[in-house]
Amino acid sequence: MLTSIGLIAVAMLLAPPLTRWLDERAAWVLALAPLVVFGHFLSLTPEIAAGGVILEHHAWVPALDVTLAFRLDGLSLLFALLISGIGTLIVLYAGSYLSDHHHLGRFHAYLLGFMAAMLGMVLADDLIAMFVFWELTSVASFLLIGFQHDKPESRRSALQALLITGGGGLALLAGLILLGSAGESWQFSGLSAAAIEGHALYPAILLLVLAGAFTKSAQIPFHLWLPNAMAAPTPVSAYLHSATMVKAGVYLLARLNPVLGGSAGWSTILIVIGAATALVGAVLAIRQTDLKRVLAYTTVTVLGQLTMLLGTNTRYGLQAFAIYLVAHALYKAALFMAVGAIDHATGTRQIPRLGGLIRYMPLTGFAVALAAFSNAGLPPFFGFIAKEFKYAGLIELGVVGWITTAVMILTNALLLTAAGLVFVRAFLGREGRYPRHPHEVSLPMWIGPMLLAFGGFVFGAFNNIAEIWLIDAAVQAVARDAVDVKLYLWGGLTPAVAASLLTVSLGVFFYLQRTRVRRRLSLWRVLWRVSGDMIWDRLLKRIFAFATGVADRFQHGSLRQHISLLVLAITGFTLVGVVSALAAGGGIRWPIPASPLSVAGTVGCVLAVAGAAAAAVMRGRVALVATLGASGLGLALFFLAANAPDVAITQLMVETLTVIFLALVLRKLPPLSGVGSRNPTAKRFHAVVAIALGAIVTALLLVSLSEPLPGNIARWYLDNSLPGGHGANVVNVILVDFRALDTLGEILVVALAGLAAASLLGASRKRQPGTAHPPHGQGNPEFGSVLLRQGMKPLSALLLLMSLVLLWRGHNLPGGGFIGGLVAACAVVLLALGDGVERARRMLRVPPAIIAATGLALAAGAGVIGLARGEAFLTGSWIFPGGLPLGSPLLFDVGVFLTVLGAVLHMLLRLLEREQAGDGPHEAAASRPTEG
Amino acid sequence: MEIVASVTAGLLVAIGIWMLLDRSLLRVVLGVVVLGNGVNLAVLLGGRLDGSVAAFADSADLAAAVNPLPQALVLTAIVIGFALFVFALAVLKRSWELHGNIETDRITAVAEEPAPDLPAEPVPAAPIAGQREVRG
Repeated sequence: MLTSIGLIAVAMLLAPPLTRWLDERAAWVLALAPLVVFGHFLSLTPEIAAGGVILEHHAWVPALDVTLAFRLDGLSLLFALLISGIGTLIVLYAGSYLSDHHHLGRFHAYLLGFMAAMLGMVLADDLIAMFVFWELTSVASFLLIGFQHDKPESRRSALQALLITGGGGLALLAGLILLGSAGESWQFSGLSAAAIEGHALYPAILLLVLAGAFTKSAQIPFHLWLPNAMAAPTPVSAYLHSATMVKAGVYLLARLNPVLGGSAGWSTILIVIGAATALVGAVLAIRQTDLKRVLAYTTVTVLGQLTMLLGTNTRYGLQAFAIYLVAHALYKAALFMAVGAIDHATGTRQIPRLGGLIRYMPLTGFAVALAAFSNAGLPPFFGFIAKEFKYAGLIELGVVGWITTAVMILTNALLLTAAGLVFVRAFLGREGRYPRHPHEVSLPMWIGPMLLAFGGFVFGAFNNIAEIWLIDAAVQAVARDAVDVKLYLWGGLTPAVAASLLTVSLGVFFYLQRTRVRRRLSLWRVLWRVSGDMIWDRLLKRIFAFATGVADRFQHGSLRQHISLLVLAITGFTLVGVVSALAAGGGIRWPIPASPLSVAGTVGCVLAVAGAAAAAVMRGRVALVATLGASGLGLALFFLAANAPDVAITQLMVETLTVIFLALVLRKLPPLSGVGSRNPTAKRFHAVVAIALGAIVTALLLVSLSEPLPGNIARWYLDNSLPGGHGANVVNVILVDFRALDTLGEILVVALAGLAAASLLGASRKRQPGTAHPPHGQGNPEFGSVLLRQGMKPLSALLLLMSLVLLWRGHNLPGGGFIGGLVAACAVVLLALGDGVERARRMLRVPPAIIAATGLALAAGAGVIGLARGEAFLTGSWIFPGGLPLGSPLLFDVGVFLTVLGAVLHMLLRLLEREQAGDGPHEAAASRPTEG
Repeated sequence: MEIVASVTAGLLVAIGIWMLLDRSLLRVVLGVVVLGNGVNLAVLLGGRLDGSVAAFADSADLAAAVNPLPQALVLTAIVIGFALFVFALAVLKRSWELHGNIETDRITAVAEEPAPDLPAEPVPAAPIAGQREVRG
């Protein structure tokens, strides 16, 4: 079964190129896929008809217990045959119908994609898999309705259909999840009816599932998307919106009838909603003048009747359901295709303009005649049997049944009138006024209606074929208990026959009096003024207005308010955590077990705070750079005092580079205006927010520090560093070995930030012609001193050398890839400042971006070594040539070195370049004299 | 030491947030740096300060070594923080070049494009109430 779906999916992928190659002839090739699938399912019919069931399992998400489980029983088979059989004809038809459309290939792809999804839906046994296919049909329907997306009407209808069916889909998902947990199985076939019906959540399940099914099958009040969906090209209307997709909801109801159908609620809701939908659909149908809309509303009627029949749950009702399902799919698809053909041939679908078409389109006319007879429920067509059984099924219900039967007689009479409109009005009588001269359509366009309509006749006249091969097995799959299935055209003088006679005479009467009937209906103006569409539009408008209001409230665009809110929330949550920890631990333990106060540490802390505080209030740009640098240095000092030499060196190098960057960028920015907000109230509020978070951070630290550190992770690293990582510098071993995957991610971030920042700073290493080219060998005028320039060269050489030493020794002594990379970057930057960027670039020989990429590749390559040895990614492997430990972590560290070096240089050189070249439209405005 | 360091971390965070709330984007960017420093300090403190020698596996007294794990975390955090800082600085510079403005409240007005249009209006005459308009 997965193969069948796959085959159609492959055809979908092939459709665009094939259509480009073969034009409309591609349809003949593409139609083979559904045809083969149809043949396949046809060959399985004997097995299923004999009561067999075919199962197929593929693991999908084993962790969540979701499988691609397929199950073919009578009901699935019936649907699968309809989908693939009608699908074949539709693909052929569409190739002709849209032969001159420039997106025919795309159309075929959408259509086949829908077919695959629909097939998957009816075959799926797994609840979740079924839901996924269900949603896919909604998406495909959206694409198909909106196919002529240059028309606003199409876009609106597509969106409406998607919102309604998609919203129902959400309800369905919730319902299915409840169903699965209540029914103790995630398979339709494994659901336990007893467990579900006795479950406390049964009403919720029922309502949610019904919401999903009703939206999909266009039941009142969700019916309005279906007539609007007629904005789609006719093949789509014929296929999705009459024969298949809209039946998905009905299919789901039928599938769940055995487990959900035992309650009075089920029957009541289904019968009431179904009957109401049927009546409304029929009344609206004969008010239309567009043939396609007539058919659309009769589809709504039929869907309502099918829903109602499932609600009856009687012997005749269920038989009528299966018969009607087939009969309707056959005649409605045929009628839609024929209407499309009429439109194609004459240029109009307006009923008042049509007439006498049989002279021009005899083949289409013949097909329409057959289909319309079946539609009208006249013997010996399949539609007649459906109608007989429908009445029989309803009458079985007693009083409710009689009332419903009365409604149905009226409905069916209206259906008969609609059928009359389609055939008698369009094909017989005097000739209509057509925009263009009518002609018979080509073979692919009449063969479909003909075959389908003929099928309706064959099934009706030789009804034992249908009974034995299709209907019996399908009814058994829908029914709660075994049902005796027996089809007949003439079952004696029963009440059903009387009802049938009444229907036909009423229908003929309505048809003859159709002008008067319509005029009568038009009198109920109040009713027509409040159309569902209008309510929908208003609702949508309200929702958009509401959403905009909500979004405006939260997305107000004020950064400061966002931050304030965020900080307050963090403060609040942390406060809760701190207070509850205190309550659980019996208050803070005082005095906090503290290590002795070190002079360097204290000085560092004071410097860090003082520098930051000064940076927060100073206005001058130079002062800003200096104070911020001092703050960072203080922190570095603290790290050193806290026995964290690696961290201290890193902080030091980063601080150096930060100052360089800041100094370069600040020159081009305007001086800072005031401090804080202009509004004093806001300023006070901001201060409170900041202090609150600071206080809570301090409190959090004090509370957690009053407890000893749980666990002994630190000890593990200390013990395993030498034997496992062959390195004494535990921090470095953690970085390049134990937690190398983290580091890999981190250097990736650094490289990406470098690339992004450099592209923001502006491209172009080439200078604009005309701008001053700095003389060779000369950098910024700030570094004009010869002495300084001469002194820089050996200094940067020394730094470069040192960076290599730091890299090499990093595994055992303070140093490593990060520190080495930063030091090397400093060296190159020094050179670039003194001698110009060109010089520095020439010395590097390789562009910095390439250096960073090489570094990343090396780091990842070092990980692959472990993989190649059959161990996990990034597992260290070591060799000892001459007692010297060499291992992949060292290679990884080299990668880190190069990445950091490359990323930093990539940004810095780009920045320097732009500074030295002189750039930017705002240059003149920006470079005011520096203050402070 | 722990108490001093905790207070320092709190103060750095507070100053960082205060700078984040400034109206000049430049100070906001610098605030990110200060805030990052405070958080780095807090992470390091989370691993406790007890231990009298640096974390080297060949040292004589392993029991007296400091906790190496937060150091490794903070080390990479510093480098990443630096990369973020430079990126933010680049954005700032670009924004100045493009819009000539680095005030937080104005930058939204200058830089924000009008919201993409809602789906095709069924009633083109009446615009949707409350639809967001381009400010500034």
